[in-house]
Amino acid sequence: MKYAWHITTLLFLLGLFSCETEFTPDVSIYEEQIVVEGHIEAGDRPTPPYVLLTKNQAFFSEINSTSFDDLFIHDAVVTVENSQNTITLQEICFNDLSEEQQQIFSDFLGLGDTDSININFCVYTDLSFSMMGEIGETYHLNIQVDGKELSAVTTIPEHIPIESLNFSPIPDPDNDTLQELTGSITDPTGEKNFYRYFTQVDNEPLIPGFTSVSDDIIFDGSSFEFPIPKGQPRTEEIDPNTYGYFLEGTTATIKWCNIDEAHFDFWNTLEFNMANQGPFSSYTKISSNINGGLGIWGGYSATYYTEIVPFD
Amino acid sequence: MKFIATLFFCCIIPYSLFSQNHTLSGYIKDATTGEDLIEANLYIKENPDQGTTSNIYGFYSLTLPAGKYTLIVSYLGYTDQETEVDLQANLRMNIEMESGIKMQEVTVTAESPDQNVQSTNMGTVELDMEQIKTMPALLGEVDVFKAMQLLPGVQSAGEGNSGFYVRGGGPDQNLVLLDEAVVYNTGHLLGFFSVFNPDVVKNTTLIKGSMPANYGGRLSSVVDIQMKDGNNKKYEIEGGLGLIASRLTAQGPIIKEKGSFIVSGRRTYVFDLAQPLLKGTTVEGTNYYFYDLNAKINYKFSDKDRIFISTYLGDDVLNYQTNARDFSLKIPYGNVTTTARWNHLFSQKLFMNVSAIFNRYDFKIAFRQDQFAAEVISGIKDWNGKIDFDYFPHPNHEMKFGMNYTHHTLSPQNLTAQSGETEFDLKFDPKFAHELGIYILDDWKITSNLRMNIGFRLSTFTQVGPYTSALDGNTYNKGEPVKTYVGYEPRFSFKYSLSDKSSIKGGVAVTNQYIHLVSSSTSTLPSDIWVPSSDRIRPQNSIQYALGYFKNFKDNMFESSIEIYYKKLNNQIDFQESYVNVPSEEVESNFVFGEGQSYGAEFFLKKRKGKLNGWIGYTLARTERKFPDINNGNVFPSTYDRTHDLSIVANYELNDKWNFGAIFVYGTGNAYTPVKSFYLIESNFIPDYGNRNSARIDAYHRLDLSATLTPKPNKPNKKIEQSWTFSIYNTYNRKNVFFIYYFPETNVAEGTASIKAYKVSLFPVIPSVTWNFHWKQK
Repeated sequence: MKYAWHITTLLFLLGLFSCETEFTPDVSIYEEQIVVEGHIEAGDRPTPPYVLLTKNQAFFSEINSTSFDDLFIHDAVVTVENSQNTITLQEICFNDLSEEQQQIFSDFLGLGDTDSININFCVYTDLSFSMMGEIGETYHLNIQVDGKELSAVTTIPEHIPIESLNFSPIPDPDNDTLQELTGSITDPTGEKNFYRYFTQVDNEPLIPGFTSVSDDIIFDGSSFEFPIPKGQPRTEEIDPNTYGYFLEGTTATIKWCNIDEAHFDFWNTLEFNMANQGPFSSYTKISSNINGGLGIWGGYSATYYTEIVPFD
Repeated sequence: MKFIATLFFCCIIPYSLFSQNHTLSGYIKDATTGEDLIEANLYIKENPDQGTTSNIYGFYSLTLPAGKYTLIVSYLGYTDQETEVDLQANLRMNIEMESGIKMQEVTVTAESPDQNVQSTNMGTVELDMEQIKTMPALLGEVDVFKAMQLLPGVQSAGEGNSGFYVRGGGPDQNLVLLDEAVVYNTGHLLGFFSVFNPDVVKNTTLIKGSMPANYGGRLSSVVDIQMKDGNNKKYEIEGGLGLIASRLTAQGPIIKEKGSFIVSGRRTYVFDLAQPLLKGTTVEGTNYYFYDLNAKINYKFSDKDRIFISTYLGDDVLNYQTNARDFSLKIPYGNVTTTARWNHLFSQKLFMNVSAIFNRYDFKIAFRQDQFAAEVISGIKDWNGKIDFDYFPHPNHEMKFGMNYTHHTLSPQNLTAQSGETEFDLKFDPKFAHELGIYILDDWKITSNLRMNIGFRLSTFTQVGPYTSALDGNTYNKGEPVKTYVGYEPRFSFKYSLSDKSSIKGGVAVTNQYIHLVSSSTSTLPSDIWVPSSDRIRPQNSIQYALGYFKNFKDNMFESSIEIYYKKLNNQIDFQESYVNVPSEEVESNFVFGEGQSYGAEFFLKKRKGKLNGWIGYTLARTERKFPDINNGNVFPSTYDRTHDLSIVANYELNDKWNFGAIFVYGTGNAYTPVKSFYLIESNFIPDYGNRNSARIDAYHRLDLSATLTPKPNKPNKKIEQSWTFSIYNTYNRKNVFFIYYFPETNVAEGTASIKAYKVSLFPVIPSVTWNFHWKQK
């Protein structure tokens, strides 16, 4: 329900008159910061903590794989503590792995075929699997690198499953091989719940929905059906006639998650920001739960549903 | 109250003891149409210091010692009128003025020659609609708000936008009145056109400086627009065809010289015309239009009593639908205002107006896709009662006093949604409030050189139930007070004449604002929500100091002024930095509070006479805000900050047939919050923002030209007059930046990424043509 309706009106004008030119912004205001993208997942496919540490980057027009490699922060001491124990994550880089491990690594990160991977991707994780995501558990992340200390905390909430999934044909006769997906849930009454979903088609990577998160303020305590649009990469242009639909005969996987409030705030502000650049919005600062840096440390309780998109 | 009563008796009673004086009073009217003339000047030729101006109903009253006088009446666009008066007793005299025929004469006779030097008004400007109509206009749509933006101290809210900022105040801090009714949404099509149809506007007064005590409720400015009353002598029909809209106005007597009516309509049709092109496409049925309807009647029961009833109705309607996905989006929004007024003359010295006003603004957005539908509505509704007195007790005193009560109903966004059979609603209760203003002011000529306008306004605002406090959970029943605020608002301005042709003026004004509109946009959006002061939100408050030097020279051919001002703003409101616009939260739960200041110097030089006339206005200013929760608590330039703002307006009358106009504007680029860096999240580069408003887009400048052709001018017996106006907007095709955006692309696996930054400009060079006609009954 983040409505950018004014954009629709503006399209009339923009379509008639507007013109755009490329420019180079001022890069002198850059300040280096540490960026955390870390998750831990419970549910169908529990995972150990996974933390990607990168540096932010001044405005650039293009970068290649060498500069991409420079984004990764190495030799950090990353620890995760829950109610039972504390573990230290190991830094694992793509180039140090065996071919078999590289494929597992690539699948896990949704990077596709290992042959196409051109950079030395490094993450911090726990290959001993001594700490896997558990529902109801709270995880404290601590990072020490180059004399800096960053911290964050996340909780994996109770899971609220999808009760049914349903594909149905769309009305457009020009696109009669596409189907729309709807799902239904029963939201528990009286407690704040936050949801996020991803979709995957065949063996392509899992991609979050364009608007992938929701709180339950509007539907608290209701049983209801709602649309689940297929995710698409954020930088891909939206075709208003086909956006969100699944192709008949493909295998669709839905990853359905519950997240905590800070985790929701991060994605909610990020997605609002990405959808609302323009004359009618001032900036929206992206909420972060990382003390001392940017990004997110978030827990998921997730279920995966796989269905073949039926033929009409 | 005690203070006001004391002031009232101290000021008024003594003057009724002067008995050797007589009072000359009456109405000043247009000789052809019978329209009352507002702010017409009337003064004694032998002693120009002895004079007055007509009020907004055209009424004047001038008390003088018995004697013979030559009375001069002058009004913008009219030929000066000289009348001999032998004042031996109180005298009622209505004055009818002949309209000036040519623009050249209009500017020659505009105002009494040094009105700008002699009045106590500071930062007050009357805008002449006839002159505005000859100025270049975007897409040919004449707009009083865009003309206002060309005055010093008034800044445009953005490319092509009719929204404006006055001396560093936000768009919600301008009080916009149409026949005394507050107009909450002043823009059509996201603010590109104002809602005021130029054919029905009689008079527009902008007060940006020391607001007199009879106005209140906003911090920055007053725009007081009066609709025409209608010709009470003959019938007239006028209209015009433009590129995007057409206008039609009819007016005439109901009973000759006693009562009249005016009805006026305007509607866009550009997308109606495009409908055949959309037929058969996936977006068939998509349309957008806006319209305005104005109507007014007035009737004079006697010399002492007159009533006026006026109404305005306007909407924007967007219908977007695509049958490719069974999707529809409907966005209607608009204002309604209705004003009923009764003028009564108690005596030649005491004029009263009583008004009952209703106004409403509603916004709705509804979308549907298959079995899913949602609707969000919001709005504001006022019932308003006013009583105002103009009292002329003594030649040296002109007083106004009165009170104004408003009952506000503010509906926050209410969401209802449907998913198949399941219905959701998220309704926030409307909020109710009483707002009251009581004022008194005296315009006092202390000596022939020194004149003061002293006023005081007491304002109160009470939020009442039904209400449940979000702070402490307390519930309040219907009508029960939740929170009361009281504002003491002294207003003071003075004029000291240095000579016949120059003066110094100064003023201080305290103002309070009890209802607020906070926008995430640079201007305002129709979906923005008015919220009242409450137990969570304190009233906005400001104090403004202004000082100016005014001088006319070359036999009043040139008028010039320099004004400096400093304004302190308290309890300012903005959105928290991580604000996400969702209808599931009350908008005020995202507010943060801070303070601001603005200061600047305004330079104005106007050439009033000759075939070539016009003005140059330049403002050098600074506007800052400081919020503990924004920009780490550091001071930042406000969105409304514009260091340099220059406007040049020229009009050249070549001959009876051709009139040319030109506008040049230059302004420092708008402040925006730049992206400091990008960072990688889920394989996308995400922006991280730097300090609030710490960067500027490129400077804005633009030249517009116009030519008005009247093929057969000034034939006295002709029934129909017609004219053509040709306009070129943005003549040299300057690509002024409307907004900027970033477009990152990343392929993590390949290790490549690019980010492109774009400046988008909206209006290139746009020519337009408008045809106008005017039929008059002979």
